[in-house]
Amino acid sequence: MDTYLLTIAVIVGIYVLLSLSLDLQYGFTGLINFGLAGFFAVGAYTSALLTMRAGLSPLLSFPAAAILAALLAWPIGRVALRLRDDYLAIVTLGFSEIVRLVLVQEQWLTEGVRGIAGVPRLGAGWGNPRFSEFFLLGMLVLCIVLVILFLRRLTASPYGRTIQAIRDDETAVRVLGKEPAVFKTQILMLGGAIAGLAGAFYAHYMTYIVPDLFVPLVTFYIWMAIIMGGVARLSGAIVGAVILVFFTEGVRFLRGVIPGVSDAHMGSLQLGIVGLVLILFMRWRPQGVFGSRGAT
Amino acid sequence: MSGATQMSTRDISLSYGDFKVLQGVSFDVSLNGLHGMIGPNGAGKSTLFSVLSGLMKPDGGEIHFGDNSFGHTSPARRAQLGLGRTFQIPREFKHLTVRQNLMVGPRKQPGESLVELFLMPAKVRRFEEEVMARADQLIDFLKLRAVADKPAGGLSGGQKKLLELGRALMSEPSFILLDEPYAGVNPVLIEEISERIREINKERGIGFLIIEHNLMALNRLVTDLYVLDTGKLIAHGEPGAVLEHPQVRAAYMGAAA
Amino acid sequence: MNYADFINLAINGLVEGLVMALPALALTLIYGLARFPNAATGDFVAVGGFGGFAAHQLTGSLIIAGLGGAAAGAAAALLAYWLAFRPVIRRSVITLMLTSIGVGFVYRSALGLAFGHEPKAFDMPLQRAMRFGDVSILPADISLAALTIAVLVAVFAILFWTPLGRSLRAIADDPDLARVSGIRKERSMLAMWTMAGVVCGIAGTVSGMRTVVYPDSGWNLLLPAFAAAVIGGLGNPVGAVIGAILLGVLQELATPFTGFVYKIAIGYVVMVIVLLVRPQGLFNRVQQVR
Repeated sequence: MDTYLLTIAVIVGIYVLLSLSLDLQYGFTGLINFGLAGFFAVGAYTSALLTMRAGLSPLLSFPAAAILAALLAWPIGRVALRLRDDYLAIVTLGFSEIVRLVLVQEQWLTEGVRGIAGVPRLGAGWGNPRFSEFFLLGMLVLCIVLVILFLRRLTASPYGRTIQAIRDDETAVRVLGKEPAVFKTQILMLGGAIAGLAGAFYAHYMTYIVPDLFVPLVTFYIWMAIIMGGVARLSGAIVGAVILVFFTEGVRFLRGVIPGVSDAHMGSLQLGIVGLVLILFMRWRPQGVFGSRGAT
Repeated sequence: MSGATQMSTRDISLSYGDFKVLQGVSFDVSLNGLHGMIGPNGAGKSTLFSVLSGLMKPDGGEIHFGDNSFGHTSPARRAQLGLGRTFQIPREFKHLTVRQNLMVGPRKQPGESLVELFLMPAKVRRFEEEVMARADQLIDFLKLRAVADKPAGGLSGGQKKLLELGRALMSEPSFILLDEPYAGVNPVLIEEISERIREINKERGIGFLIIEHNLMALNRLVTDLYVLDTGKLIAHGEPGAVLEHPQVRAAYMGAAA
Repeated sequence: MNYADFINLAINGLVEGLVMALPALALTLIYGLARFPNAATGDFVAVGGFGGFAAHQLTGSLIIAGLGGAAAGAAAALLAYWLAFRPVIRRSVITLMLTSIGVGFVYRSALGLAFGHEPKAFDMPLQRAMRFGDVSILPADISLAALTIAVLVAVFAILFWTPLGRSLRAIADDPDLARVSGIRKERSMLAMWTMAGVVCGIAGTVSGMRTVVYPDSGWNLLLPAFAAAVIGGLGNPVGAVIGAILLGVLQELATPFTGFVYKIAIGYVVMVIVLLVRPQGLFNRVQQVR
């Protein structure tokens, strides 16, 4: 039973990081990032490959994962951040799908659809497998705390004020002499780094990663999480991640209760429930379960 | 020491398809003066402001701001060079409080740089305290004390206009394009605002070009008036004289808008 | 690559482009009137494909299959409009986009639960390709291309030669003016969603006949359809069709160089280039893209 709880805790933690990333981008800055899964994937594969192929320690591969994900955000910034909302959404969505295509196609690097197995566990050499799982959870919690502290300082600062102003009315910010594109690129990169970090944790927890783990559905799971939790509130990102896990695990539970439900069926069911929740929340409660402080 | 510099335009034109919004607009305003612009609704006044501030590209014409020539200059850059602007329909940051709205105003805050924010906290804090003090002063002057910590989205129309003005002032421009600053504002406050604009103009040398429909208030404030009608400047001069101009009267009477 | 290969690829690209033109057209119609990029467009296509498949299974007639697909597509679009989009139609673009993502997920999930994930092929009579030297064309491709062209012609006839079409174009050009001049918005909306749904349904059936139908098929054509619509200029029907055909041919011609997997990436790259250079698209006048 407590292996299950451990798994849940790790998944919640990873979703929290992803939610914080997306909330920083959308809740605070108004960036419609439909390509979160792409940054997540880059982080996962980067850390997996650096530890396995280059023999790097996770102490180096994790930051590398975050940095590479952040660097990928830069060209997106150049291209899309001067465009309107809906175009940014399409371009970021395309980005994450292209990432997935690259992961599938460049087999020499990524093993393609076969995926990468045997990603080393954290702290593997120090104790038994159970210990390494707890160790990963511990590191994950530590990272979450650090990220939250960082984001709290950021969002309560003049920088945080300006990005929220950009969210609320970009034109008004321009005529005050500030260039929104600069801030938006930085936020996209910061958010990308956090998502990349989450990806690294994911890879070393799952120990087996395939491109299909990084489909757009993951992006929209996180969208659902931040909307339910209430955008532009750091606590909302955490709440949303917890609610999200309730949903996904709830479906799994249902499957245990109702006989004859196959894996594929469960996948479809999860998809349908996420879709329904998105529709219902956007209509009836866009400010989230506990209310938001940002635009919805 | 040269005299006050100017903002000049030559032959600004803008059309949407067949509809000519601005036609050959040319004028010079001194950057330390108080100037007004009037005209019937739909004459193109706000559009002209958008062209001046760089939010819209004209089809042709030149704009000079002091020593600078505004060709492809971005709106943010024009603001950095000293051109401020308010909007006819206020663009408040609706999820931020009134105080926060004002504090976004000042340019180049150290706290807006990631590096300085995390590596030079003392400097950031000092600057914040100064900005907050200035914001509080403005809050008192604009009589927004009661709503200082409320989200700007909940303000009344008149309050939003005041906030708009305050925020532009916080950015310390050398010249401000004011778009209908008095619309929806309490009449008692209008005179105070005019007085403050005069004060700011005299003490800090900040000039204004003001679009307004409230002719009484405007005429007591500005030294010269431009009249825009269907995209063309049809008159310029002292307020009294301009208003007597037959073409101007026709424009206002004729346009039933 | 010799001359004949080139022609074969170009023909294939033309047919694929024509089929892609349908969802691109639907996307652009919806954008023109409802003012948001509808991410469920691909799923309308998938629903249509399954509708056509089911109709074909029941009757064996290809014509009924086409009608079934069109009807299924229309039903999917109208249902989505009525239940999901209409209540939030005045809200922000992001609200509508997220809702459309949700709608797409629901449809995809329903298709998966109802039909399973195994790709389904239409029982089509085996055909021999017609040969002109080294150039080969499948008769089916000709008929399907002809059907697609017929549908496109019909849609354009409605858009440009009927009062309804004039209303639709007026609303797309200037919604405020249209409202003021008394154009009945609700009726136009219903007509537009029906047309978009029919167009998607036919696309799904045609595509299913050429290849297979499976629940995720809609999502996979969403990006190329978006790319085509953006390249042509969002909201511009002519642009969407031409954009799709150009893209289809370009993708096929590039396949020998890029391989199958990256073929899809081409549409994306071209779209990004267009957004950088001429963001309003090839056929639109300048609008507020920035």
